Amino acid sequence: MNLYTKRLFVNRFNLLVSLFAMLFGLFWLAWILYTLVVAGFTALGPSLFLQMTPPPGSSGGLLNPIAGSLLMAAVGTLIGTPVGIMAGIYLAEFGSRGWLAPVTRFINDILLSAPSIVIGLFIYEIYVVNTRHFSAWAGTMALALIVIPVVIRTTENMLRLVPDSLREAAAALGASQWKVITLVTVRAAKAGIVTGVLLAVARISGETAPLLFTALNNQFWSVDMNAPMANLPVVIFQFAMSPYDSWQHLAWAGALIITLGVLVLNILARVFFRSRTPTY
Amino acid sequence: MGSEHLSKQYDTDLETLRSGVLQMGGLVESQVRGAIDAFAHGNQELMDQVIANEPKVNGCEVSIDNDCSHIIVKRQPAAGDLRLIMAISKTVTDLERIGDEAEKIARMSRQIHERGHADIHRFATVRHAADIALSMLRQALDAFARLDAADAAAVIRQDVAIDTEFRSILRQLITFMMEDPRTISTALEIVWIAKAIERIGDHSKNIAEDVIYIVKGTDVRHTAVEVVEREAIG
Amino acid sequence: MNAAVLQPTEQTVNQKIRVKGLDFYYGAFHALKDINLEIPERKVTAFIGPSGCGKSTLLRTFNRMYALYPSQEAHGEILLDGENILAPSQDLNRLRAKVGMVFQKPTPFPMSIYDNIAFGVRLYETLPAREMEERVEWALRKAALWDEAKDKLRQSGTSLSGGQQQRLCIARAIAVRPEVLLLDEPASALDPISTGRIEELVHELKSDYTIVIVTHNMQQAARVSDYTAYMYLGNLVEFGVTDEIFIKPKMKETEDYITGRFG
Repeated sequence: MNLYTKRLFVNRFNLLVSLFAMLFGLFWLAWILYTLVVAGFTALGPSLFLQMTPPPGSSGGLLNPIAGSLLMAAVGTLIGTPVGIMAGIYLAEFGSRGWLAPVTRFINDILLSAPSIVIGLFIYEIYVVNTRHFSAWAGTMALALIVIPVVIRTTENMLRLVPDSLREAAAALGASQWKVITLVTVRAAKAGIVTGVLLAVARISGETAPLLFTALNNQFWSVDMNAPMANLPVVIFQFAMSPYDSWQHLAWAGALIITLGVLVLNILARVFFRSRTPTY
Repeated sequence: MGSEHLSKQYDTDLETLRSGVLQMGGLVESQVRGAIDAFAHGNQELMDQVIANEPKVNGCEVSIDNDCSHIIVKRQPAAGDLRLIMAISKTVTDLERIGDEAEKIARMSRQIHERGHADIHRFATVRHAADIALSMLRQALDAFARLDAADAAAVIRQDVAIDTEFRSILRQLITFMMEDPRTISTALEIVWIAKAIERIGDHSKNIAEDVIYIVKGTDVRHTAVEVVEREAIG
Repeated sequence: MNAAVLQPTEQTVNQKIRVKGLDFYYGAFHALKDINLEIPERKVTAFIGPSGCGKSTLLRTFNRMYALYPSQEAHGEILLDGENILAPSQDLNRLRAKVGMVFQKPTPFPMSIYDNIAFGVRLYETLPAREMEERVEWALRKAALWDEAKDKLRQSGTSLSGGQQQRLCIARAIAVRPEVLLLDEPASALDPISTGRIEELVHELKSDYTIVIVTHNMQQAARVSDYTAYMYLGNLVEFGVTDEIFIKPKMKETEDYITGRFG
């Protein structure tokens, strides 16, 4: 066949292969979701959100783990976000001279890909051992240590995307460097930075290992930060490995909740980012 | 205007314009020479030819002015190029007027020779003035072709000579008219011819002034000859 | 090659900025070579020259914009109303409040039109709300943008068209009442009608401000400026009254550039 027909064929063939690859990926995702729904179906219902974790054999809900996860994620984000944003600002705006910035970036990249269990063990060693008990504070610290590198990376990248011409325009009016950063540069990168934070939250929602050694778990309702606190990942771990049906169903339901939560956060992040990003 | 423009087309356009002016100058020169010769020898054919050629001269003026407008709108000329275009536009007007004067001389000659009173040998001064005017025209066109300011200044100096000649012609003709009243009509026609020659000298001077403007950038119209020479040569 | 300072012919005009022996370096690259120049007050001075000749570099020394980048250095003196702005003791922010700049690409801040204009004012003055509104309106009127913007002052600055955005940047720059206005190719990113408006604007503004404009469009320089400086490869080749530069330049290099006889 001639060159044109051959090209047409190759083009169509490759498109088809890509399509099948995508369908392949989607298939597994769909199957996971389906499995979660079916397996946790019996536990789904309003009681899931209204009752505490039950003792073995009886039915109940996931109120305390959900509350615990929400609380720890919130506090961890609240601690980690300002640190991350400030460090990101430093790297993007002041990081062009000297050795501190490249070193920081390097260490940050390592932290970013560090196994979360290592972080959990670290907090265990320096805090849990010293205070002699598990606590939600320890869990929060571990989560914050996961949030920080993510926020640093996204903040720095988003700030770098802001064109220099904008900074120069603000400087040309007589604004000091700090005013340029806070009033103009960060505002311009606002959408991207918020998206970064949302993605960090999505990441820590599902982390189990760090919480295992820090917040552990709690059967009862507790919002005491100094005591062990219930959280979804550890509860799932515990219930899924148990021989009790009711617990297993709750575990599936918990897994479904986390999955859906992460999915929603990711979608929110994308929608938010697209609607608010100014075009330079 | 040493080196070339980045746009070859621009160079070509300017070259076409310049050679158009020189061609028109050549045509006008031959018109004037023809008219003077016709006056001197009573050559009817020559007179008719000069009169017939006059529309060609007008056509040249229109076409060159048109080309100037085109260059202005397309190239927005500056500095030397701008002065060249402005000067060409004016020069071409002066050349056209010279053509008109040549035609006038031809017409007057025809009338004189038809009447039959031509005692041309008595009008050597007219011939002399005509020669000066013709040489001024030729020198002005040369100065334009070579963009030589010193030569152009020399042309301007010669204008004084023509004015002197014109006044002496007038005195002569007045004497003739007083001697023999029958020659008055002819004499008057010769006055118009002399006037035309004087105008040709004036227009040639204008062309020379334009050349100095192109080369030096100074507008020397209405300034004294000494000042002009200083500007042109110094 | 380096022509001495060619003074503007009107000696009664005050010299707002005097540049003395200015050398400028981008790292090791010698971008401006021994520049001596005087910018007259309340007139428009244009810098022209081919790309890379240093005209923008020279412009940016007047408000020390280069100080944002560590590898760029200036040596010599630049006197603004008699004070050397290259001295280390010069307060950069105060300098930039006195010497405003508008850039080639319109850069509205990510805030409302009102806030864009109030931004610079708020840096140095505390005005009560009504006076601030008056100042914003005054700046927008001066920039010939009031009629188009008065109904959308709270909308984002980025919602305007390109030509409007550039006029917004001009309004923003004049709202702080600087003494000198630096325009770095302000119309090169705009369509002919917007360009024409900006040129009209420059003409109106010059009665109140000293304006220096960099442009690669020679006809614009001829239309808009009172004085023109021609630069080439970091040297100031010729400086003089605009009419003379464009009708009867003194240096052959200037004539070659203006008539398009380069290379």
